Amino acid sequence: MSLKQKISIQSILVSLVVSIMTIILLGVLLNFTTSFEPTLGNELLRINANNTKSANAVTSVVTYFRGFDTLGEVTILFLSIFGVGLGLKGFKDKLNIFSYENTLLKIGVDTLFPIIILFGIYVIIHGHLSPGGGFQGGVIIASGFLLMFLAKGDDLNINHKILELIESLSGAGFILIALLGLLVTDRFLGNFLPLGEVGKLFSGGVIPLIYIFVGIKVSAEITALLEYFIRIKDVR
Amino acid sequence: MLDSFNQTPFLHSVITIGSFLILLIGLVGALSKKNLFKIFLSLAIAESSLFIYFIGMHFSIGKIAPIVTNKVTEFSNDMVDPIPQAMILTTIVIGIAVLSLALSFIISYYKLTGKMRIDDMNELGEDK
Repeated sequence: MSLKQKISIQSILVSLVVSIMTIILLGVLLNFTTSFEPTLGNELLRINANNTKSANAVTSVVTYFRGFDTLGEVTILFLSIFGVGLGLKGFKDKLNIFSYENTLLKIGVDTLFPIIILFGIYVIIHGHLSPGGGFQGGVIIASGFLLMFLAKGDDLNINHKILELIESLSGAGFILIALLGLLVTDRFLGNFLPLGEVGKLFSGGVIPLIYIFVGIKVSAEITALLEYFIRIKDVR
Repeated sequence: MLDSFNQTPFLHSVITIGSFLILLIGLVGALSKKNLFKIFLSLAIAESSLFIYFIGMHFSIGKIAPIVTNKVTEFSNDMVDPIPQAMILTTIVIGIAVLSLALSFIISYYKLTGKMRIDDMNELGEDK
Protein backbone atom coordinates (compact mmCIF):
# COMPACT_ATOMS: atom_id res chain seq x y z
CA MET A 1 0.00 0.00 0.00
CA SER A 2 1.48 3.29 -1.00
CA LEU A 3 1.53 6.24 1.31
CA LYS A 4 -0.35 8.37 -1.17
CA GLN A 5 -3.80 6.88 -1.35
CA LYS A 6 -6.37 7.69 -3.92
CA ILE A 7 -9.42 9.53 -2.66
CA SER A 8 -12.00 9.68 -5.38
CA ILE A 9 -13.55 13.02 -6.31
CA GLN A 10 -16.98 11.43 -6.13
CA SER A 11 -16.74 10.61 -2.44
CA ILE A 12 -15.49 14.11 -1.63
CA LEU A 13 -18.37 15.63 -3.58
CA VAL A 14 -20.93 13.36 -1.93
CA SER A 15 -19.69 14.14 1.56
CA LEU A 16 -19.54 17.87 0.76
CA VAL A 17 -23.15 17.89 -0.38
CA VAL A 18 -24.33 15.75 2.54
CA SER A 19 -22.58 17.84 5.17
CA ILE A 20 -23.75 21.16 3.68
CA MET A 21 -27.33 19.92 3.59
CA THR A 22 -27.14 18.51 7.14
CA ILE A 23 -25.78 21.74 8.58
CA ILE A 24 -28.29 23.89 6.70
CA LEU A 25 -31.18 21.67 7.75
CA LEU A 26 -30.08 21.65 11.39
CA GLY A 27 -29.55 25.40 11.28
CA VAL A 28 -33.05 25.97 9.99
CA LEU A 29 -34.44 23.64 12.63
CA LEU A 30 -32.50 25.13 15.52
CA ASN A 31 -33.18 28.77 14.61
CA PHE A 32 -36.88 28.11 14.49
CA THR A 33 -38.42 30.07 17.35
CA THR A 34 -41.96 29.89 18.59
CA SER A 35 -44.03 32.99 19.18
CA PHE A 36 -44.91 32.36 22.80
CA GLU A 37 -42.24 33.38 25.26
CA PRO A 38 -42.01 30.68 27.99
CA THR A 39 -40.19 28.00 26.05
CA LEU A 40 -39.92 24.44 27.30
CA GLY A 41 -36.46 24.99 28.75
CA ASN A 42 -37.50 28.14 30.65
CA GLU A 43 -40.58 26.39 31.94
CA LEU A 44 -38.53 23.42 33.13
CA LEU A 45 -36.08 25.75 34.85
CA ARG A 46 -38.99 27.45 36.61
CA ILE A 47 -40.54 24.14 37.73
CA ASN A 48 -37.14 22.81 38.75
CA ALA A 49 -36.72 25.36 41.55
CA ASN A 50 -39.73 24.04 43.44
CA ASN A 51 -40.34 20.48 42.26
CA THR A 52 -36.99 18.75 42.40
CA LYS A 53 -34.67 21.00 44.48
CA SER A 54 -31.75 19.72 42.41
CA ALA A 55 -29.06 22.35 41.92
CA ASN A 56 -28.12 21.00 38.47
CA ALA A 57 -30.98 21.41 36.02
CA VAL A 58 -29.46 19.04 33.45
CA THR A 59 -29.42 16.25 36.04
CA SER A 60 -33.04 16.80 36.92
CA VAL A 61 -33.97 16.73 33.23
CA VAL A 62 -32.03 13.51 32.70
CA THR A 63 -33.22 11.60 35.75
CA TYR A 64 -36.58 13.14 36.61
CA PHE A 65 -38.35 14.81 33.70
CA ARG A 66 -36.88 12.41 31.16
CA GLY A 67 -36.17 9.54 33.57
CA PHE A 68 -38.00 6.96 31.52
CA ASP A 69 -35.80 7.90 28.57
CA THR A 70 -32.71 7.35 30.72
CA LEU A 71 -34.02 3.89 31.64
CA GLY A 72 -34.23 3.08 27.92
CA GLU A 73 -30.75 4.50 27.37
CA VAL A 74 -29.26 2.31 30.11
CA THR A 75 -31.09 -0.67 28.61
CA ILE A 76 -29.58 0.05 25.17
CA LEU A 77 -26.11 0.20 26.72
CA PHE A 78 -26.74 -3.11 28.51
CA LEU A 79 -28.02 -4.78 25.33
CA SER A 80 -25.08 -3.64 23.23
CA ILE A 81 -22.57 -4.88 25.79
CA PHE A 82 -24.48 -8.16 26.00
CA GLY A 83 -24.10 -8.40 22.21
CA VAL A 84 -20.38 -7.64 22.39
CA GLY A 85 -19.97 -10.37 25.02
CA LEU A 86 -21.80 -12.85 22.83
CA GLY A 87 -19.71 -11.96 19.78
CA LEU A 88 -16.34 -12.04 21.52
CA LYS A 89 -17.00 -15.06 23.72
CA GLY A 90 -14.17 -17.16 25.03
CA PHE A 91 -12.26 -14.04 26.00
CA LYS A 92 -10.95 -15.61 29.20
CA ASP A 93 -8.55 -17.88 27.29
CA LYS A 94 -7.23 -14.99 25.22
CA LEU A 95 -4.24 -12.75 25.86
CA ASN A 96 -4.22 -9.09 26.69
CA ILE A 97 -3.04 -7.13 23.63
CA PHE A 98 -2.46 -3.81 25.36
CA SER A 99 -0.09 -4.63 28.21
CA TYR A 100 3.23 -2.83 28.32
CA GLU A 101 6.37 -3.77 30.20
CA ASN A 102 6.81 -0.31 31.60
CA THR A 103 8.03 0.23 35.16
CA LEU A 104 6.83 3.82 35.38
CA LEU A 105 3.33 2.74 34.39
CA LYS A 106 3.31 -0.18 36.80
CA ILE A 107 4.38 1.98 39.77
CA GLY A 108 2.25 4.96 38.81
CA VAL A 109 -0.94 2.93 38.52
CA ASP A 110 -0.72 1.80 42.14
CA THR A 111 -0.80 5.43 43.21
CA LEU A 112 -3.28 6.68 40.63
CA PHE A 113 -5.87 3.92 40.75
CA PRO A 114 -7.42 4.75 44.18
CA ILE A 115 -7.44 8.46 43.35
CA ILE A 116 -9.22 7.87 40.04
CA ILE A 117 -11.81 5.62 41.68
CA LEU A 118 -12.36 8.18 44.45
CA PHE A 119 -12.77 10.98 41.88
CA GLY A 120 -15.28 8.87 39.96
CA ILE A 121 -17.31 8.24 43.10
CA TYR A 122 -17.19 11.96 43.90
CA VAL A 123 -18.46 12.86 40.42
CA ILE A 124 -21.26 10.29 40.72
CA ILE A 125 -22.60 11.30 44.12
CA HIS A 126 -22.35 15.02 43.39
CA GLY A 127 -24.23 14.66 40.12
CA HIS A 128 -27.14 16.76 41.33
CA LEU A 129 -24.94 19.58 42.64
CA SER A 130 -22.19 20.08 40.06
CA PRO A 131 -21.41 19.20 36.44
CA GLY A 132 -21.11 15.47 36.09
CA GLY A 133 -23.22 12.56 37.14
CA GLY A 134 -23.68 8.86 36.72
CA PHE A 135 -22.55 8.42 33.12
CA GLN A 136 -19.50 10.65 33.43
CA GLY A 137 -18.39 9.24 36.79
CA GLY A 138 -18.95 5.69 35.58
CA VAL A 139 -16.66 6.27 32.61
CA ILE A 140 -14.03 7.81 34.95
CA ILE A 141 -14.08 4.65 37.12
CA ALA A 142 -13.80 2.50 34.00
CA SER A 143 -10.78 4.56 32.89
CA GLY A 144 -9.11 3.63 36.19
CA PHE A 145 -9.68 -0.03 35.34
CA LEU A 146 -8.29 0.62 31.84
CA LEU A 147 -5.05 1.85 33.43
CA MET A 148 -4.96 -1.35 35.50
CA PHE A 149 -5.41 -3.43 32.33
CA LEU A 150 -2.57 -1.55 30.63
CA ALA A 151 -0.18 -1.99 33.54
CA LYS A 152 -0.95 -5.42 34.95
CA GLY A 153 -1.47 -7.26 31.68
CA ASP A 154 -2.60 -10.84 32.03
CA ASP A 155 -2.20 -10.88 35.81
CA LEU A 156 -5.38 -8.87 36.30
CA ASN A 157 -8.46 -11.02 36.15
CA ILE A 158 -11.78 -9.39 36.89
CA ASN A 159 -14.48 -11.75 38.01
CA HIS A 160 -17.22 -11.26 35.47
CA LYS A 161 -19.83 -12.94 37.62
CA ILE A 162 -19.41 -10.21 40.26
CA LEU A 163 -19.52 -7.54 37.53
CA GLU A 164 -22.74 -8.96 36.11
CA LEU A 165 -24.21 -9.19 39.61
CA ILE A 166 -23.36 -5.53 40.35
CA GLU A 167 -24.73 -4.46 36.98
CA SER A 168 -28.01 -6.32 37.25
CA LEU A 169 -28.55 -5.33 40.89
CA SER A 170 -28.07 -1.65 40.10
CA GLY A 171 -30.38 -1.90 37.09
CA ALA A 172 -32.97 -3.60 39.30
CA GLY A 173 -32.48 -0.84 41.88
CA PHE A 174 -33.30 1.80 39.27
CA ILE A 175 -36.53 0.02 38.33
CA LEU A 176 -37.35 -0.61 42.01
CA ILE A 177 -37.08 3.11 42.82
CA ALA A 178 -39.22 3.90 39.79
CA LEU A 179 -41.88 1.39 40.86
CA LEU A 180 -41.83 2.70 44.45
CA GLY A 181 -42.52 6.12 42.95
CA LEU A 182 -45.47 4.56 41.12
CA LEU A 183 -46.80 3.07 44.37
CA VAL A 184 -46.24 5.99 46.74
CA THR A 185 -46.91 8.92 44.41
CA ASP A 186 -49.03 8.86 41.28
CA ARG A 187 -46.51 8.16 38.54
CA PHE A 188 -43.53 6.10 37.44
CA LEU A 189 -40.27 7.63 38.76
CA GLY A 190 -42.21 9.91 41.06
CA ASN A 191 -40.46 11.50 44.00
CA PHE A 192 -41.30 9.90 47.35
CA LEU A 193 -38.38 11.13 49.46
CA PRO A 194 -38.12 14.47 51.28
CA LEU A 195 -36.74 17.14 48.97
CA GLY A 196 -34.36 18.95 51.33
CA GLU A 197 -32.65 22.22 50.54
CA VAL A 198 -31.12 23.29 47.23
CA GLY A 199 -27.34 22.88 47.22
CA LYS A 200 -27.01 20.37 50.03
CA LEU A 201 -25.71 16.83 49.46
CA PHE A 202 -28.92 15.24 50.76
CA SER A 203 -31.37 17.02 48.51
CA GLY A 204 -33.34 16.38 45.40
CA GLY A 205 -35.31 13.37 46.60
CA VAL A 206 -34.74 10.32 44.39
CA ILE A 207 -32.48 12.08 41.86
CA PRO A 208 -29.12 11.29 43.54
CA LEU A 209 -30.22 7.70 44.23
CA ILE A 210 -31.12 7.14 40.58
CA TYR A 211 -27.87 8.68 39.40
CA ILE A 212 -25.85 6.55 41.85
CA PHE A 213 -27.49 3.41 40.45
CA VAL A 214 -26.82 4.61 36.89
CA GLY A 215 -23.17 5.32 37.82
CA ILE A 216 -22.60 1.85 39.29
CA LYS A 217 -24.24 0.25 36.27
CA VAL A 218 -22.29 2.27 33.70
CA SER A 219 -18.95 1.69 35.45
CA ALA A 220 -19.51 -2.09 35.60
CA GLU A 221 -20.65 -2.17 31.98
CA ILE A 222 -17.77 -0.13 30.55
CA THR A 223 -15.25 -2.15 32.57
CA ALA A 224 -16.69 -5.38 31.15
CA LEU A 225 -16.60 -3.83 27.66
CA LEU A 226 -12.92 -2.89 28.06
CA GLU A 227 -12.03 -6.43 29.09
CA TYR A 228 -13.92 -7.89 26.14
CA PHE A 229 -12.02 -5.69 23.70
CA ILE A 230 -8.62 -5.99 25.35
CA ARG A 231 -8.49 -9.79 25.44
CA ILE A 232 -8.77 -10.72 21.78
CA LYS A 233 -5.40 -12.31 20.97
CA ASP A 234 -5.45 -16.05 20.55
CA VAL A 235 -3.04 -18.19 22.53
CA ARG A 236 -0.72 -19.84 20.03
CA MET B 1 -12.57 45.83 17.81
CA LEU B 2 -12.20 42.59 19.70
CA ASP B 3 -15.74 43.06 20.96
CA SER B 4 -17.14 41.95 17.63
CA PHE B 5 -15.63 38.51 18.24
CA ASN B 6 -17.49 38.25 21.53
CA GLN B 7 -20.92 38.33 19.93
CA THR B 8 -23.42 35.54 19.52
CA PRO B 9 -23.61 35.56 15.67
CA PHE B 10 -19.83 35.30 15.37
CA LEU B 11 -19.78 32.42 17.85
CA HIS B 12 -22.57 30.65 16.00
CA SER B 13 -20.83 31.00 12.65
CA VAL B 14 -17.59 29.63 14.10
CA ILE B 15 -19.49 26.66 15.52
CA THR B 16 -21.33 26.12 12.23
CA ILE B 17 -18.18 26.19 10.09
CA GLY B 18 -16.22 24.05 12.55
CA SER B 19 -18.86 21.37 12.89
CA PHE B 20 -19.31 21.41 9.10
CA LEU B 21 -15.58 20.72 8.69
CA ILE B 22 -15.66 17.89 11.24
CA LEU B 23 -18.68 16.34 9.52
CA LEU B 24 -16.86 16.65 6.17
CA ILE B 25 -13.74 14.94 7.56
CA GLY B 26 -15.85 12.11 8.97
CA LEU B 27 -17.83 11.58 5.77
CA VAL B 28 -14.77 11.68 3.50
CA GLY B 29 -13.14 9.11 5.77
CA ALA B 30 -16.21 6.89 5.75
CA LEU B 31 -16.55 7.04 1.97
CA SER B 32 -12.95 6.80 0.81
CA LYS B 33 -11.24 4.51 3.33
CA LYS B 34 -11.34 0.78 2.73
CA ASN B 35 -10.49 -0.49 6.22
CA LEU B 36 -13.57 -1.39 8.27
CA PHE B 37 -12.15 0.05 11.50
CA LYS B 38 -11.41 3.36 9.82
CA ILE B 39 -14.90 3.53 8.34
CA PHE B 40 -16.62 3.12 11.70
CA LEU B 41 -14.26 5.47 13.50
CA SER B 42 -14.92 8.07 10.76
CA LEU B 43 -18.62 7.69 11.40
CA ALA B 44 -17.92 8.35 15.11
CA ILE B 45 -16.04 11.54 14.14
CA ALA B 46 -18.95 12.66 11.96
CA GLU B 47 -21.29 12.00 14.88
CA SER B 48 -19.24 14.19 17.23
CA SER B 49 -19.73 17.19 14.92
CA LEU B 50 -23.46 17.05 15.56
CA PHE B 51 -22.87 17.11 19.32
CA ILE B 52 -20.81 20.28 19.00
CA TYR B 53 -23.37 21.88 16.71
CA PHE B 54 -26.38 21.03 18.85
CA ILE B 55 -24.85 22.25 22.11
CA GLY B 56 -23.16 25.26 20.57
CA MET B 57 -26.18 26.63 18.76
CA HIS B 58 -28.17 26.61 21.98
CA PHE B 59 -25.63 28.83 23.70
CA SER B 60 -25.58 32.57 23.37
CA ILE B 61 -23.22 35.09 24.96
CA GLY B 62 -24.21 36.11 28.46
CA LYS B 63 -25.99 32.91 29.40
CA ILE B 64 -24.71 30.73 32.22
CA ALA B 65 -24.77 27.03 32.98
CA PRO B 66 -28.07 25.79 34.46
CA ILE B 67 -26.54 25.05 37.86
CA VAL B 68 -27.26 26.81 41.14
CA THR B 69 -24.06 27.71 43.00
CA ASN B 70 -23.05 30.09 45.75
CA LYS B 71 -23.08 33.05 43.36
CA VAL B 72 -26.13 32.12 41.30
CA THR B 73 -28.77 31.41 43.86
CA GLU B 74 -31.88 30.78 41.78
CA PHE B 75 -32.95 29.48 38.39
CA SER B 76 -33.70 32.22 35.89
CA ASN B 77 -34.08 32.80 32.17
CA ASP B 78 -30.39 33.77 31.93
CA MET B 79 -29.51 30.10 31.99
CA VAL B 80 -29.06 27.99 28.88
CA ASP B 81 -31.71 25.49 27.95
CA PRO B 82 -30.96 22.22 29.83
CA ILE B 83 -32.91 19.98 27.45
CA PRO B 84 -30.39 19.87 24.53
CA GLN B 85 -27.61 18.96 26.94
CA ALA B 86 -29.65 16.07 28.36
CA MET B 87 -30.53 14.92 24.83
CA ILE B 88 -26.89 15.01 23.75
CA LEU B 89 -25.93 13.02 26.86
CA THR B 90 -28.36 10.34 25.69
CA THR B 91 -26.98 10.51 22.16
CA ILE B 92 -23.36 10.13 23.30
CA VAL B 93 -24.18 7.01 25.33
CA ILE B 94 -26.11 5.45 22.45
CA GLY B 95 -23.26 6.34 20.08
CA ILE B 96 -20.81 4.49 22.33
CA ALA B 97 -23.15 1.47 22.46
CA VAL B 98 -23.57 1.29 18.69
CA LEU B 99 -19.86 1.85 18.01
CA SER B 100 -18.80 -0.91 20.44
CA LEU B 101 -21.26 -3.36 18.90
CA ALA B 102 -19.99 -2.50 15.39
CA LEU B 103 -16.36 -2.95 16.44
CA SER B 104 -17.14 -6.35 17.96
CA PHE B 105 -18.79 -7.37 14.68
CA ILE B 106 -15.64 -6.32 12.80
CA ILE B 107 -13.45 -8.42 15.11
CA SER B 108 -15.71 -11.44 14.68
CA TYR B 109 -15.76 -10.95 10.89
CA TYR B 110 -11.97 -10.77 10.78
CA LYS B 111 -11.69 -13.95 12.85
CA LEU B 112 -14.10 -15.82 10.57
CA THR B 113 -12.82 -14.71 7.17
CA GLY B 114 -9.43 -13.11 7.68
CA LYS B 115 -10.47 -10.02 5.73
CA MET B 116 -10.49 -6.43 6.90
CA ARG B 117 -10.91 -4.35 3.74
CA ILE B 118 -14.27 -3.79 2.13
CA ASP B 119 -13.04 -4.36 -1.42
CA ASP B 120 -12.10 -7.93 -0.45
CA MET B 121 -15.56 -8.75 0.84
CA ASN B 122 -17.46 -11.15 -1.42
CA GLU B 123 -19.54 -13.27 0.91
CA LEU B 124 -22.65 -12.68 -1.17
CA GLY B 125 -20.97 -13.98 -4.31
CA GLU B 126 -20.10 -10.75 -6.08
CA ASP B 127 -17.19 -10.44 -8.47
CA LYS B 128 -14.22 -8.59 -7.14
